[in-house]
Amino acid sequence: MKRLLPILLFLFPALAQVVVEPGWVRLVPPVVPDTAAYLTLVNRGRTPLRLVGAETPVASRVSLHRDHQEHNHQQHNHQGHKGGHAVLGMRPVPYVEVPPGGKVAFRPGGYHLMLEGLKRPLKAGEKVELTLLFQGGLKVKVALPVAMR
Amino acid sequence: MKRFWPAFLVLGLLGLGYLLVPRGSHSFFGTRLLNPKPVGFTLEGPKGPVRLADFRDKLVLIFFGFVHCPDVCPTTMISLKQVYEKLSPEERRRVQVIFISVDPERDTPEIADQYAKAFHPAFLGLTGSPEEVQEVARAFGVYYQKTAYRGPGAYLVDHTATTFVVQGGRLVLLLSPDKLNFAQNPGYLPKVVADLRALL
Repeated sequence: MKRLLPILLFLFPALAQVVVEPGWVRLVPPVVPDTAAYLTLVNRGRTPLRLVGAETPVASRVSLHRDHQEHNHQQHNHQGHKGGHAVLGMRPVPYVEVPPGGKVAFRPGGYHLMLEGLKRPLKAGEKVELTLLFQGGLKVKVALPVAMR
Repeated sequence: MKRFWPAFLVLGLLGLGYLLVPRGSHSFFGTRLLNPKPVGFTLEGPKGPVRLADFRDKLVLIFFGFVHCPDVCPTTMISLKQVYEKLSPEERRRVQVIFISVDPERDTPEIADQYAKAFHPAFLGLTGSPEEVQEVARAFGVYYQKTAYRGPGAYLVDHTATTFVVQGGRLVLLLSPDKLNFAQNPGYLPKVVADLRALL
């Protein structure tokens, strides 16, 4: 045990570095094979934290997405405002970085974890287990409730 | 008594003036179109063709989206459900929410309708052939394009996320996706409800 202590002390700050404030998994119509998960990541450490992926038993794949709404008219005329209306879309992102002492909220209209290829329809109120994968090998498990919101 | 007559006259005129003030003095949260544009379409519903003109006596809320859309579309659809549920049963009878899929390749009329009805059983989901959808989108000034293409059946669609409000065959009000993002702005819900009530 004594020999393990330094290792434990070394591991502990890493575990304390990330705090996950739970959000929810969106209840979608049964005809929809994908859904989104929302939560807030808090970085209590002194180094940047990078979320690089996630896993869940209920979907075949989880990817990180960010909604975008481009306002640039000249460059990419196929995005942004068309005829005065906002054109929205979303894009996969390779990672989400949380600065030291900062937080990133995953919310509708911003970042979300996309649960692709649901293996079964989700039910309102059930908890979905999600394992968040951070750069450096840190894994954090969370359980998010399913809700239509 | 006689000397009060001028006062009665003034009060009477004030009362008359109050009655004559236009009742449309509601200040709209959405974008009110002062020169309402006539719009119309025929698309496929789960039980055959549906025309916008079928809902001439209703206030019609139209949202263009696609079923494989996990963030933007449900955010607006959930908000439309919340707005609809805030209305009285009598008001609801005069409102129809329509979801139009701009992804007819993957969404059949049945799928589009099941999707809409999962948010509220009174909602309606429609789509059409790619040409029909394109024509309707053009009439409403809706833009959509496939992106993040990973293969047949695995792609996303960027699209105009405005909710269009149609009354008597004319486009009267626009609600931007920000104004219908109650997840981020819960205070917007009563404002949107007030807009609909002002039109009803």
